[in-house]
Amino acid sequence: MADFKPKIVAFLCNWCSYEGADKAGGQKLNYYAGIKIIRVMCSGRVDPYFVLKAFREGADGVMVLGCHPGDCHYRKGNISALKRMRLLEKMIVQFGVERERFMLDWISAGESEKFQKTAEKMTSRILNLGPLKLEGYVKRKAAQ
Amino acid sequence: MPGSKTGDKKTVLFLCKCSSNISNIVDFEEIKRWAGEKGDTNIAAVSNLLCAPDGKKFFSEVIKKKNVNNIIIAACSPKLHEKTFQDIAEKNNINMSRVRMANIREQCAWVTADKNEATEKAKSLINAAIKRSFLSEDLKRRTMKAYSDVLIIGGGIAGIETARTISKTGRKVYIVEKNITIGGSVMKTEDLAPSMECSPCLMAPILSDVRDDPNIEVLANAEITNILGFFGNFNVTIKEKPRYVEDNCIACEECFKVCPVSVKNEFHYSLGERKAIYTLFPGAVPASAVIDKNICKHFTDNSCDKCVSVCPFGSINFDQEEKTTAINAGSIVISTGFKPGDLAGFPELGHKSINDVYTTYELESLLSTNGPTGGKLKPDDEKIPASAAIIHCAGSMDSRGIPYCSSICCTHAVKAGEMLGKVYPAIRVFNIHNDLVFTDPEEHQFYKKQKAKGTTFIKCFDLSSIKITKTPDDEKIKISGYGFEPISVDIAVLATGFKPADDFKELAKIMDLALDKNGFFRPGHRILHTTASEQDGIYSAGCASKPVNAAAACTQAQAVAGDIMSRLIPGREIELEIFTSFIDEEKCAGCKMCIPACPFKSIYYDPERKISIINEALCRGCGTCTAACPSGSIFARHYTDNEINAEIEGILHG
Repeated sequence: MADFKPKIVAFLCNWCSYEGADKAGGQKLNYYAGIKIIRVMCSGRVDPYFVLKAFREGADGVMVLGCHPGDCHYRKGNISALKRMRLLEKMIVQFGVERERFMLDWISAGESEKFQKTAEKMTSRILNLGPLKLEGYVKRKAAQ
Repeated sequence: MPGSKTGDKKTVLFLCKCSSNISNIVDFEEIKRWAGEKGDTNIAAVSNLLCAPDGKKFFSEVIKKKNVNNIIIAACSPKLHEKTFQDIAEKNNINMSRVRMANIREQCAWVTADKNEATEKAKSLINAAIKRSFLSEDLKRRTMKAYSDVLIIGGGIAGIETARTISKTGRKVYIVEKNITIGGSVMKTEDLAPSMECSPCLMAPILSDVRDDPNIEVLANAEITNILGFFGNFNVTIKEKPRYVEDNCIACEECFKVCPVSVKNEFHYSLGERKAIYTLFPGAVPASAVIDKNICKHFTDNSCDKCVSVCPFGSINFDQEEKTTAINAGSIVISTGFKPGDLAGFPELGHKSINDVYTTYELESLLSTNGPTGGKLKPDDEKIPASAAIIHCAGSMDSRGIPYCSSICCTHAVKAGEMLGKVYPAIRVFNIHNDLVFTDPEEHQFYKKQKAKGTTFIKCFDLSSIKITKTPDDEKIKISGYGFEPISVDIAVLATGFKPADDFKELAKIMDLALDKNGFFRPGHRILHTTASEQDGIYSAGCASKPVNAAAACTQAQAVAGDIMSRLIPGREIELEIFTSFIDEEKCAGCKMCIPACPFKSIYYDPERKISIINEALCRGCGTCTAACPSGSIFARHYTDNEINAEIEGILHG
């Protein structure tokens, strides 16, 4: 397990969490390099399929970070994300993906330290879980 | 570099060292080697500082000379410079969608200590940007015609100042006022604190200005019933209640003398009376009187038409009807004012149960020469009050009343003492307070002056312990509370706070806006744009988003006017969101899942074609509908499923 270098995909909204991650950069707050960020305009844009797609493409963990409830640039896109992701959390378990491999959280544009902490929390979670192992039917389908 | 893998795309990869900010962690030689090996890009160009003038020149030259049509820039955050390079690309006839940045500074070089790890991470971020860029489609800048006229809801000092500022540019401004004349709360007092400037003197020329301004149209005794549309293109429906008095009325007041019906005057906090035909104050705009249908004897039992016979202008018209008007405007301003805090939940304060207990609002109304008693506190009583107690935070910071601090009532409370001192120079004033809140140095100076004049400021640590009592045998009012010896005074004044106006909830519903936890309109941004609302093109001024004094209301009004004037220029089209979503009409099954997902109500259902349609003028491009669509028929421009999927693949297989 010592060689395990988890791949973590993070979907960040343009207005809050992506800014928060940029601010973490500006303050040189280091975090694990395997966390790679994809920018979307709103966390509400994150189709649950994107999360499944990331797992299928080899991600060991997936994060969706949006604006705090009530602060969404698009008023309530993050609430749509919340509803969908709560359902998705239940679904991924059925695919053999541990629930802890997915994380939904809120990071404001100013919360650079929270971003760093959240990134580190996710990294240690995935390190504890080890590499994602898909099995049986799901494994066969994912390989296609 | 071979270009076989890139199809018809001639792709350039710019690598910016950002002086050495990036290149001292990310190995540029290795990135160049890797990019050459992958063969997705045709050219790799390294710059020391791409955003500097030399760098921009280099950027421009490369894309021109090499005839590229797809640009990847591995540098800082796209939030900093994507637009910089998109603009240069557009000047070179390359669509903005063809410029993508890979964030290898903020999200790579600056957050990774290990050189190898940073270089590997940079590779995958660049790879994701490249893979996605192959699927980008051209984006079009779209514009739309817009109205530059402005509609203002509420004709208090904030609404009036907004109107006056905007009308100077020659645009039409509409003021929709619920009351029968404009002027608002400022007209209910004589003095404005802390300068103690005479309020009616300040307002009189302003009201005349509005009356005489051909660009300002006042719709009084009116309310908003519906608002459709969006920034630049609002359509507002207004219901104007009949006045039963024609516009040629000059308010000569002859009819007031003969009208047999009197009721409490709400404009003066029910302290005085008015007739069934009335105006609010002399010099009102509009000037004409109004007949109160609910009490006028012509309407209740058809027994009186005395006003008709005395009117020198033949202005009375009992047959006037309600009028509905539709107005097109580019933006809307909410300046509906506030409501004074009430004390219904505070029986221990004796308001309305003990004589000589007033709120600050009532006190200033009574002490105003244009008030219900002509400036006398007790018109029928010759006795001069020798002492007064003013209680701060009455009904505020308490869950039974206003849970918050209105921040301007302390100055209001100090002003009450100043006003009393003017009428009764020998009066002894006690201000009983806990926190003292002053929002600018002048207000604090006002308080210090009051103190120097002899007002006693008594600190009470728990204002909820205050009790105001008077038994039938008592000559004076007794005020007791924790931490001070009870005092006996002739009058007590309760400094109540500022509540959201009654119609905020209804307006919020009509305009699809949210109210904050205190019931005020939520600002667009708490720091950058306090006068904007959550809906583009709808602004707030005055006490709509929080309690403010008259000076702040005017500043906000002018800020709103400036913002509107800079964004809505007559004859110029407004730019619309570029990253909108659209629906593939062939694929849409009409399930309507997208409609509730849209935070901006920009999706509607077409029952004839049985499909959903996005109004792209309203769409703000969040893409929430795209994620909600079960049939994959909605496309978020520049953030399509295919593009994001390509980015996921690119980032994981870099």
